[in-house]
Amino acid sequence: MSPSSQSVSTPSEAGSQESVNGGTVGRTLQWDTDPSVLQLLGDSDVGRKIHKLGASKITQVDILPKELVTYCKETQTPLAPHQSEEEEEDEEIPVPKAETETDLQDNEDNQEYTEAHPRELTEEEKQQITHSEDFLVFFDRTIRVMERALAEDSDIFFDYSGRDMEDRDGDTQAGCNLSFNRFFYDEHWSKHRVVTCLDWSPQFSELMVASYNANEDTPHEPDGVVLVWNMKFKKTTPEYIFHCQSSVMSVGFAQFHPNLVVGGTYSGQIVLWDNRSHRRTPVQRTPLSSAAHTHPVYCVNVVGTQNANNLISVSTDGKMCSWSLDMLSQPMESMELVYNKSKPVAVTGMAFPAGDVNNFVVGSEEGTVYAASRHGSKAGIGEMFEGHQGPVTGISCHNAVGPIDFSHLFTTSSFDWTVKLWTTKHNKPLYSFEDNADYVYDVMWSPVHPALFASVDGMGRLDLWNLHNDTEVPTASVTVEGSCALNRVRWATGGREVAVGDSEGRVWIYDVGEQLAAPHPEDWSRFARTLVEIRANQGDSEEEGAMEMAA
Amino acid sequence: MEEYHPGDEVAFNPDEASNCVKECIEGIIGGVDYSQNKVNQWTATIVEHSLTQLVKQGKPFKYIVNCAVMQKSGAGLHTASSCYWDTTTDGSCTVRWENRTMYCVVSVFAVAVTL
Repeated sequence: MSPSSQSVSTPSEAGSQESVNGGTVGRTLQWDTDPSVLQLLGDSDVGRKIHKLGASKITQVDILPKELVTYCKETQTPLAPHQSEEEEEDEEIPVPKAETETDLQDNEDNQEYTEAHPRELTEEEKQQITHSEDFLVFFDRTIRVMERALAEDSDIFFDYSGRDMEDRDGDTQAGCNLSFNRFFYDEHWSKHRVVTCLDWSPQFSELMVASYNANEDTPHEPDGVVLVWNMKFKKTTPEYIFHCQSSVMSVGFAQFHPNLVVGGTYSGQIVLWDNRSHRRTPVQRTPLSSAAHTHPVYCVNVVGTQNANNLISVSTDGKMCSWSLDMLSQPMESMELVYNKSKPVAVTGMAFPAGDVNNFVVGSEEGTVYAASRHGSKAGIGEMFEGHQGPVTGISCHNAVGPIDFSHLFTTSSFDWTVKLWTTKHNKPLYSFEDNADYVYDVMWSPVHPALFASVDGMGRLDLWNLHNDTEVPTASVTVEGSCALNRVRWATGGREVAVGDSEGRVWIYDVGEQLAAPHPEDWSRFARTLVEIRANQGDSEEEGAMEMAA
Repeated sequence: MEEYHPGDEVAFNPDEASNCVKECIEGIIGGVDYSQNKVNQWTATIVEHSLTQLVKQGKPFKYIVNCAVMQKSGAGLHTASSCYWDTTTDGSCTVRWENRTMYCVVSVFAVAVTL
């Protein structure tokens, strides 16, 4: 039996196919090309059904591809006119990566552009702006702030006590130490000038004023220079710079006027600077007339109270004038300091005891010290204190205020290499400190400790004398670097720092150790006992018997 | 072996066929991961076994069994099929099976045999 082969062709195939069966099954199927109509032809021996054929439903198999999430990350740095840099980060399979890279390339090209330049100001406009009032005021104030900020390598708002802790490297011992803190020197203004006077501000304990005399090398610069230095910040330039035409011999902050600086000059003029104005020259001057001073003024002092204060000045011709700070055109009162109605006293230093506005002491060129008073029946020179063999360079009244009043004490320094301790009640010195080997240029009592004072001499030595410890030698002593003659010494108002000015225009600040500088309540009574001892010794060395006890 | 009951017209039962095929697949590739080397063997075996089981049922059908094994690699696969037959007696069924690494699609077409 030959196999019947029937081929079923798909509708797309053309042509009809016949299959011939030579076998027993005699059936021919004839397919029409059009499948929709089908006719079965053929004789069927067995009652064959005619099947109706139709198309089946479409079977579909769908397997969806895995969705790959692709993203492209890029950063764009701020565009500058010249070149822009871009960073790209792609994180996917190579195929998508190639596409994204080309996209980014296009973006890069699009985003390069040039910035428009700001309009240049003309020279005239610049001049106009820089000379305008607003600009000057603004500039004046902001350069100080900027200077401080630039010089600081730490927080510019750190406060006083924070700075104190930093500079403790010199304080290794328990505190009987005098350690160098910093020095102030300005290349332009301090060079070749001697520091003639120093003062600390009563309002701002970090401000200090120093006056300088003339610089012979630069005749065209002003003769008198006054610089205000700031201890608080690390910047090395002065806060304020003031000039005047003649060398400034003495300077001080006006006690009750925080903005004013008073100076006494070589020409006899008293000048007043104001730090509110941006001028460097004095805002007020006393006249150069015989009503005022005609000789160098070595001492200026503001005495009194907030409401009733006067500026007292004494010149080397013995003239003492009292001024009101509002009006310097003429003195309120003037007086000639003469002793015993003979020649006037050439005053080199003046000091007022703490709290006293009437009585004061002056030191003279002859080496004698005088006590005087401004008003009253005995106005003028009262007592004379002899003891020094050379001109008196510095005089200081006891400043420390405590349970016992020692304001009758004062110390003087002189060219005779000594520092002497006096009391106003006795015209011979209580004690003579003779440790120095050169002119002693200045002396000052500590403002807080009753038995402590400082002195400076011509060999660059700064001595601290603590009368409780020893009266023979200074308790602490340091020689300033460079060994220039030290002209002035001033304690800071807190009694923890000492400023010294030298002959080269440098101002040195030294920290005094805690143990040495800080007073204890029993120091006053201890000092009273020390005084008694000193007096006892003095009494022994002299033939004088009667002595008064300290109150 | 093959017994035909004359006059007996049975329609194709897709569920029964589908169960039969599923068991076959499970038995052959259930629990194994796609392997390039063995996949040919698997497809042949699946087809063979499925067909044998279907014929064992003794129904008067001509069977066409198609098997496709695809590795899971993220690609998509789309197929479709259609038949022109006697819809009363003929039928088809498609079994989709998958595991972690591959898909397996088996299609069975059954065409009634009339004598």
